[in-house]
Amino acid sequence: MSELLQLLVSGLSKGCVFGLIALGFVLIYKATEMLNFAQGELMMMGAFVAFTFVNLAAMPFLAGFAVTLVVALAFGMALERGVLRPMIGEPPFAVLMLTIGLGFVLRTVAVNIWGTDPRTLDVPYAGEVLVVREVVFGYDNLIVIGATAFLCGGLWLFFRRSRLGVAMQAASQNQLAAYYSGVPVKRVASLVWGISAAISAAAGMLLAPISLIDQNMGFIGIKAFAAAIVGGFGSLPGAIVGGLLIGVSEEFALRYLWPGFGEVTAFVILLVMLFVRPQGIFASLQKKKV
Amino acid sequence: MRFVLTTRYAQDVALFRHNGQRFWYGLLAIALLVAPWLMTNFYVGEAAMVFIWAIAGVGVMLLVGYTGLVSLGHAAFLAIGAYTHAALLRYGVPLPLALLLATGAAAAAGALVGYAALRMTGVYLAVATLAFERIVAYLVEHGGALTGGVRGVAMTQPQWFGISVIHSHFFYYLCLGVLALCIFGAVNLLRSPTGRAFVAVRDSEVCAESMGVHLARTKTVAFALSAALTGLAGALMAHKIGHLVPEAFGVNVSIQLLLLVVVGGLGSLHGVVFGAIFVGFLPQILALARDQLAAFGVDRVPGLEVGAYGAILVLFLIFEPLGVYGRWLKIRAWFDEFPLYRKATYKKQKSYLRTERVH
Amino acid sequence: MLFEARDLSIRFGGVHAVRDVSFAIEEGEVFSIIGPNGAGKTTVFNLISRFYDPDGGTLAFRGEDITSTPAHHVAELGIARTFQNTELFERETVLANLLIGRHVHRRTNLLKDLLFLPAARRQEVAFREKVEEVIDLLHLQSHRRALVGSLPYGARKMVEIARALCTEPRLLLLDEPSSGLNPEETEDLAFWIEDIVADLGVTIVMVEHDMNLVATVSNRVLAMADGSVLATGEPAAIQSHPEVLRAYLGGTDEPPPAVAEAAP
Repeated sequence: MSELLQLLVSGLSKGCVFGLIALGFVLIYKATEMLNFAQGELMMMGAFVAFTFVNLAAMPFLAGFAVTLVVALAFGMALERGVLRPMIGEPPFAVLMLTIGLGFVLRTVAVNIWGTDPRTLDVPYAGEVLVVREVVFGYDNLIVIGATAFLCGGLWLFFRRSRLGVAMQAASQNQLAAYYSGVPVKRVASLVWGISAAISAAAGMLLAPISLIDQNMGFIGIKAFAAAIVGGFGSLPGAIVGGLLIGVSEEFALRYLWPGFGEVTAFVILLVMLFVRPQGIFASLQKKKV
Repeated sequence: MRFVLTTRYAQDVALFRHNGQRFWYGLLAIALLVAPWLMTNFYVGEAAMVFIWAIAGVGVMLLVGYTGLVSLGHAAFLAIGAYTHAALLRYGVPLPLALLLATGAAAAAGALVGYAALRMTGVYLAVATLAFERIVAYLVEHGGALTGGVRGVAMTQPQWFGISVIHSHFFYYLCLGVLALCIFGAVNLLRSPTGRAFVAVRDSEVCAESMGVHLARTKTVAFALSAALTGLAGALMAHKIGHLVPEAFGVNVSIQLLLLVVVGGLGSLHGVVFGAIFVGFLPQILALARDQLAAFGVDRVPGLEVGAYGAILVLFLIFEPLGVYGRWLKIRAWFDEFPLYRKATYKKQKSYLRTERVH
Repeated sequence: MLFEARDLSIRFGGVHAVRDVSFAIEEGEVFSIIGPNGAGKTTVFNLISRFYDPDGGTLAFRGEDITSTPAHHVAELGIARTFQNTELFERETVLANLLIGRHVHRRTNLLKDLLFLPAARRQEVAFREKVEEVIDLLHLQSHRRALVGSLPYGARKMVEIARALCTEPRLLLLDEPSSGLNPEETEDLAFWIEDIVADLGVTIVMVEHDMNLVATVSNRVLAMADGSVLATGEPAAIQSHPEVLRAYLGGTDEPPPAVAEAAP
């Protein structure tokens, strides 16, 4: 029983990370109809930047966390402005390829700045555990879950309550109409990229204490894309739910199924889902209108 | 500028439109046949590798460039072709039959994926093919004696009339012959209803459907064909690799295949050849670049290869989305129309987002 | 009777986009569907093209029930269509666009195409001959080898009609053929439509806003509003029909200027 609970918690925390990356992915798609396959690499960059501030510059953890978010926001916006904006109007496939290329470049950049050795982020809660009735929970896992819940709540408020958030929603539903009603569509697109990069960076910082930071950690982005689709592509809650589902399944598969199978659980779930319910858990996209 | 007077409808579907083309392609054929006797064995081997890339490239181009379906998992078909071929040769199946069966196995896998992908477009397809590739990679790593697991399996190199398959000249002509057949088949498809259906699906699915194109069948056929050619390339590549290991068919290979079609020029078979030359010789170019960097005191650039692939991809997509072949067409147009050439002819016109969604 | 829709209904979420729509089309007539924006006209077309499955009602073409025929089979039966905002293959030549219209008459299989056997070659030439007939009919000779993306909008509209004709349809659905055309082009369009009906014996159903065009070419008109049929009848009768006037004007009894001018 306690083992099941522990697996559940560690699965949920992993799922939260998938969910956050998926959230960034979906956010960009909804606002700009671009598929960002470099989302995992944005997460990796976030983790490395945090490592620079917290470990190398010896900043307090929370301050480092906050500065990293700001850096990621700026980086995301700069990416949109410099690399993605020239691609507006190009076929979706071209954008997708571009972001794949971007991911490769980011990995090489990271290796050349921070080296090939895996790094550990110094967090104040490293190795700490919470014991509830003889069941041991790592704080690193619990904090991931808590922080994800907090971030999602914040985002929800942002999209519901703030002017900017509502403008973003409008732009995501109909760019032209939003533009005509005075929404600065281009600036909104930049900002969405910024926010999405910041969310991914947060995911990276939350994941860092659990796994290690290296240039290949962005590969879990692929699982996050699977999560986004399982959840129902285009749905923000779906991204999180899909992430949780895949995180928990993977954790249990790693423990109980054939060796190595855990690594492909996400993909098996995805393919099964595409056969059974291709629109995902929360359906939200439809066919093109003629 | 050349004007071709068309007097018969059959002229428009002929392989060569005019004698100029016949001359240049004939010259190219002769050059390719003579080439191995003028090059060192190393370059003969490299050229064979370019042909193999081009075979796979034709497959990827049919799917991505002509049918508009993205696959991020084509390395899986390469692996299926290679491992099937290796296993068959080990059981003593003759080379041509083994090649055929390996192609068939990849085609079957492709049809399966294509069929699964029927209801998917864009992101779904991209992620699903990636997922498929990961699952195949898992099966290869845990395939026991059949695949040799992570330690890999040695390739049987059969003899033909006393010449080993991997004898550089024999292998060169084998790959060249297979490539020529593949290109011939692709050209034929593209000038007949099947190819037109591919293009229709790429440009507008609703319209294709209203013109009587069976979407499901067309996509499945495109996937199967594409996988077949990629599998065939994989089987040939297996001889070249010699010892098959899972890393030889990783995600990077899928990306290299996409790089090939993008750099060459989407939607053109000429582009496949340009792209294959590019991808085939890129490692050499990078090795040279590495030497140059070392001369400047930068002795180690980890991940240079991967980064270069990525950077080239990004730069091409932003500055020359039509690839090398597109650039070639523009240069030719410039000379053809010399004083009258207008830059605007090839200018991008769309600057707004054309949505594909309904809310 | 060539085509019949009976009690056609479809709902999108809470919106009843088409409600109990029935109409019958006779061979050789031009039948127009009019109505304010959002009346459900294009939805009716999409139902006939089988892009949507109706929630209720039946479709019959030449006495055969086609309510559950797959969308790609509709063209083969002899129903072709154009789209409101044109759905052409922009990066292809006009010729290539028209050839796809011959797809329903394809007799070769994958293998024959792959080897380009004599049968495939003969078929290509035959396709081309048929395409040239349509090019002659609609005077598209000068655009034959032009890329569709480089053509003016009016020419593109004609290419789309030509492509539909290449399927040799019995029934041609035109979705707002005059939208985006200038008055002169619209006048030409009226002649083309009459030619198509007279020379090829094709029956036409069109969704149209231009009341002049509707009045000139249509034999009968069906007026829709909010997904339901308001009235069906001769163009003149429909234009003065009180319910139709009300739908266009939203309650007043004043006739709209465009409609008043168009009245013969």
